[in-house]
Amino acid sequence: MLSIKNLKASIEDGTQILKGINLEVKPGEVHAIMGPNGSGKSTLSKVIAGHPAYRVDGGSVELDGKNLLEMEINERANSGLFISTQYPTEIPGVNNVEFLKMALNSKRAFLGLPEMGDAEFKQLCEEKMNLLEMDERYRERGVNDGMSGGEKKRNEILQMAILDPKVSFLDETDSGLDIDALRIVANGINHIMSPEKAVILVTHYQRLLDYIKPTYVHVLRHGKIILSGGPELALKLEDQGYDWIEEAK
Amino acid sequence: MNAEFIQNLPTAEQAIARLRELGMPKRNNELWSFFPVAKIPTPEFMGTDFAAASTASQASPAENAAATQESDFAALLPIANNARPMVREIVAGAAEMSMLKCNNDFGHTVLDIGKGAKVSLEILDNKVTHDIAAERFDINIGEDADVEIFFANPACDLPLRFRHFNINQAAGSTVRFSSICKDTAIGRVSVECHLKGEGANFDYRSLHILDGEASQHSRLTIYHEAPRTTSTQLARNLLSGSARVSYDGSVIVGYDCTGVNSSQLVNTILMSEDASVSVKPVLKIYHDDVECTHGNTVGELDAEQMFYLVSRGIPKKAAQEMLMRSFAQETFLPLPDTPAKKRLMSEV
Repeated sequence: MLSIKNLKASIEDGTQILKGINLEVKPGEVHAIMGPNGSGKSTLSKVIAGHPAYRVDGGSVELDGKNLLEMEINERANSGLFISTQYPTEIPGVNNVEFLKMALNSKRAFLGLPEMGDAEFKQLCEEKMNLLEMDERYRERGVNDGMSGGEKKRNEILQMAILDPKVSFLDETDSGLDIDALRIVANGINHIMSPEKAVILVTHYQRLLDYIKPTYVHVLRHGKIILSGGPELALKLEDQGYDWIEEAK
Repeated sequence: MNAEFIQNLPTAEQAIARLRELGMPKRNNELWSFFPVAKIPTPEFMGTDFAAASTASQASPAENAAATQESDFAALLPIANNARPMVREIVAGAAEMSMLKCNNDFGHTVLDIGKGAKVSLEILDNKVTHDIAAERFDINIGEDADVEIFFANPACDLPLRFRHFNINQAAGSTVRFSSICKDTAIGRVSVECHLKGEGANFDYRSLHILDGEASQHSRLTIYHEAPRTTSTQLARNLLSGSARVSYDGSVIVGYDCTGVNSSQLVNTILMSEDASVSVKPVLKIYHDDVECTHGNTVGELDAEQMFYLVSRGIPKKAAQEMLMRSFAQETFLPLPDTPAKKRLMSEV
């Protein structure tokens, strides 16, 4: 489904952040990526999304056999990729619901589907907002405008639920969430997940993985995946940190 | 009707004499430092020898008192061109919605708004038959009156247009002055606002959405002449092509005007290499206990916001339009829910 091969990327000053990432994600799988701060986790999500601050130095990223790196940013999203960044951008003045409707209908146009009308969209929106226990105020607000960290993350998952991507890359979705919000967001992700879809979670803590069971756990350090394992790896990392991996080599 | 207010207006003869004295606008005159003055045609009444003509004026110094205080060419031009003043009184306590439209190239409107009146005033484009249009508005506002003045006309390709406003505000009055300009040629809006009574408030909001060769200029002078008067200026510009905007905003706080609060902010987004903006804030403060701020930002559309929208599948052009629209709408969002806000937001 998503195939990342030897992906290398650098920032404007030439510093290489990703130094050869390899990752295979199949339908129905949940991958957790963990690693110390500055190891390249957020960079990986932004490079896949096509953020202009990064330059791809080599490698490939394919979604269902199509090279994402050759696509425009919006085409990557419309092909089924969803990226949630650690700090969702605030866009005051752009209404949350209008933005969601525009995004959904852009995807539908890309896929050759007719535009979704107001009534049908309203129903869809209500259903997904109920799933995430979001109140009506979200409709009137600007995109992430003035929202707390937890509200922003919930808003991101609402977008994911409406856009229905094949692969979701969620960067520290659990940061800024209180205990109840974490449960609601995690339940939302589990509800959206299906055997045809995949999720990649970037997290520092086991607590999110208590709700969303990972198929694989990877450790990213110095721009490379240095260790992969099952769910038990996350528990060991939580208990022992990252240094033991280097020492064992 | 406020008799003093009417009597102080210059006559056509006085306006011509003053214009001859002033001469045609030049770039070294601070009122016109950003304006393409070479595009202003010389009116016939100016003659060829301005100084000699001025000396020959028959008006006595007393008769010329009001006219000689006026130094803005655009303010004098309609009167010098014999624009017959449309004089109107809105009585104390009245509630009124009006639309103003001049029927000639040169227009002069005189409004006397009574104490406690609530007025919504939309200014429509005048009917123009020549290459230049100039309008002047003298507006006297009584105590505790609440007035909104706004214009959001369709893009106009008139080669040259001036609009000048003289506004006098009594104690406790509020004026919200809001405009959208999409004109494609050369224009200038000038406002002189005198906050004469304690607690008077003047709120100015303008939005320029320009493309091509458009060249639009704003000049504001706000005189805080009483304690605890407040003023806000917010000018936003979205400029494409070779469009050019200037904003020349002065705030003058008089002696003993304690507790004055004034802010000025100009935000510009340049959508092309050749678009440009010039901003000149001027603060003249003659009292200590005041708060006056000014700021100016110039940039492009926010790259992170663009990325966010596009990363959700929205095409780049549509994302740009969303961000431009939000930038434009924010200009008027703080306004109360009145006819002005409805009209301005719909035009954005």
